[in-house]
Amino acid sequence: MKIRRILIANRGEIAVRIMKTARKMKIETVAVKTASEPNAMYLSLADVVFDDTDDDSEIPVFLNIEKLITIAIKTKADAVHPGYGFLAENAYFAQKCIDNEIVFIGPPPDAIYKMGNKTIARKIALAAGIPMALGSDGKISDEEEAVSIAGKIGYPVIIKAESGGGGRGMRIVRSPDEMEKMFIIASKEAEKAFNDPSVFIEKYIENPKHIEFQILADKNGNVIHLGERECSIQRKHQKLIEEAPSSALDENLRSRMGKTATDIAKTVGYYSAGTVEFLLDSNRNFYFMEMNTRIQVEHPVTEIITGIDLIEQQIRIANGESLKYIQQDIKLTGWAIECRINAEDVQAGFAPDPGKIIKMNLPSDSYVRIDTGVQAGSVIVASYDSMIAKLIVSGTDRKDAIRNCKMALDKVWIKGTKTTLPFFRMLVRNQKFLKGDYTTTFIEKDLDKYYQSSEYEEMLAAWLATSLFVEENLQDNSISVDYENGKEMSPWLLNKRINQF
Amino acid sequence: MPGEKPAIKKLYALSSENRRFCFPQPLKHSIRIGKREYEVKFKHDEKYGTYILWKNRKYPVEIVRSRQNKYEILFNDISYTFTVETPFSLKRMKVLKAAKGRPDKESVVAPMPGKIVDVLVREGSDVLQGEPLVILEAMKMQNEIQSPVNGKITHVSVKAGSNIMKDDVIVEIKMG
Repeated sequence: MKIRRILIANRGEIAVRIMKTARKMKIETVAVKTASEPNAMYLSLADVVFDDTDDDSEIPVFLNIEKLITIAIKTKADAVHPGYGFLAENAYFAQKCIDNEIVFIGPPPDAIYKMGNKTIARKIALAAGIPMALGSDGKISDEEEAVSIAGKIGYPVIIKAESGGGGRGMRIVRSPDEMEKMFIIASKEAEKAFNDPSVFIEKYIENPKHIEFQILADKNGNVIHLGERECSIQRKHQKLIEEAPSSALDENLRSRMGKTATDIAKTVGYYSAGTVEFLLDSNRNFYFMEMNTRIQVEHPVTEIITGIDLIEQQIRIANGESLKYIQQDIKLTGWAIECRINAEDVQAGFAPDPGKIIKMNLPSDSYVRIDTGVQAGSVIVASYDSMIAKLIVSGTDRKDAIRNCKMALDKVWIKGTKTTLPFFRMLVRNQKFLKGDYTTTFIEKDLDKYYQSSEYEEMLAAWLATSLFVEENLQDNSISVDYENGKEMSPWLLNKRINQF
Repeated sequence: MPGEKPAIKKLYALSSENRRFCFPQPLKHSIRIGKREYEVKFKHDEKYGTYILWKNRKYPVEIVRSRQNKYEILFNDISYTFTVETPFSLKRMKVLKAAKGRPDKESVVAPMPGKIVDVLVREGSDVLQGEPLVILEAMKMQNEIQSPVNGKITHVSVKAGSNIMKDDVIVEIKMG
């Protein structure tokens, strides 16, 4: 192994995830300590911590290319892992690393650029004969052009950001009179998020499933796929729960879609791990959507059903090693489900609910894997994403995995912020979900509520409210907290004290 | 409370969705389901914080807010709002409610903290339910805040560029 020390140009759970594999491979890691999270968990796992807490720049260090290169050089890191988000899909950053003789643990800059620009990606895929939804040839300059092209393709259409991802700069348009407003919103959002207001238009596939294929490619032209992930449960194009494999695919469809995914990778000379996203319609036609040139949040479900450590593969490929596997070696065993436990208020339409995690107890059963970058005492800060932990559950088949998931969800104990847990607890009891009968419009169309109290929960909450009322107003028969340490303290006082921090 | 007053035999917790839970007074550490009484304990310890123990299962609880007889309880990660009423106050409330009729004003509040990037209505605008009022940017997403009702805008409290907190009033609408 030539790589000896990796600078992790990221934070949170993915930084922790990368460090775990690096440690297993006896490679050292460098983490960057920032002023917004000086006590973050990922720092405690690094071999070297670069202190950047006096950085008063407007741009977070994880987006500051020059600074990261300087840090890599200063800390003698010979490789950089970008994780996901931030600079993970920035071709310029990848090139800068290479120019400074630092190994970029990811794909070649040229492939990042081509796949990152959605209109170029469309052209390449079209030329390679990859199935795709009808769309505009390139970016659209104004709303009049948008109306004219949408008229030709036929409504509904979807406006997408050329440099987009994560649902930002994306809007569905169902009629010409919505176009002006949606075009402006999408374009503004794209400019904010990606510094590029360019948008294009595609035919909107109604009620599709979101199916993506994990691929692995080495620098010697070997490309394989590791099966699919089903990521249809989304809200505003952001994934909430993912599973692998998908109940919508059979062996035949899997091998056709997998072949298409590896073809796309070959077309752009791809290496490293990557994900090819498809939409699958109700007639089992699939359409290439985009390629993500990074490790993805939901990569653990693939690791579970294939037994392959994707971060290790990324490092080995970056190191110049050939893939140890050929396509026939890849066997999908069992079922895996990932729930993204985020600090969000499900009852307020998934609004971010940042704050300090006061208590955190997670299940440790053999069927559970937890990927997290926080622990009790950590703060979920508003400036980064709202991820608390990924609960990854496995089972022998889908039914078994869902059953395990239900048990694991009841064991997760997080206090301090509201979380997406009530959503998942409802979902694993939803008939359509249980049947696998869901598409990307599931949350919007098939749910009237994002959460569901179990039978007696509301009654118990009502009992508690009543007991507090009694304590405050009718002191003659008060009820107090039963403290384990023997000290009786009013929950009122306690709560007031907690809130003062 | 000191002084003479009639004995309270029951207390009611009314949920924000108008479900009513009745508990006998004095309040017991148990709840009757059908023919059986089940013990309920409100506890606190170092590992779990505050929780309710019910049928051998722990449920995380948090007292989020309380004002007079109004309580917001976070129970197993879901928040519930109750007003606790005595038989007398419940009766009084019903009378008052009947006299007052339905409210005719609606305040639209921010569902999350963020920045207003665009205001699409002005005072005096007529709006329909579902019509976008402002564009709120939060965590790099632009969100349309839509009108919950049909009516006329009576007040706009924000402008493009305003930074707002959760629950800040964005606009007020006179229903009709």
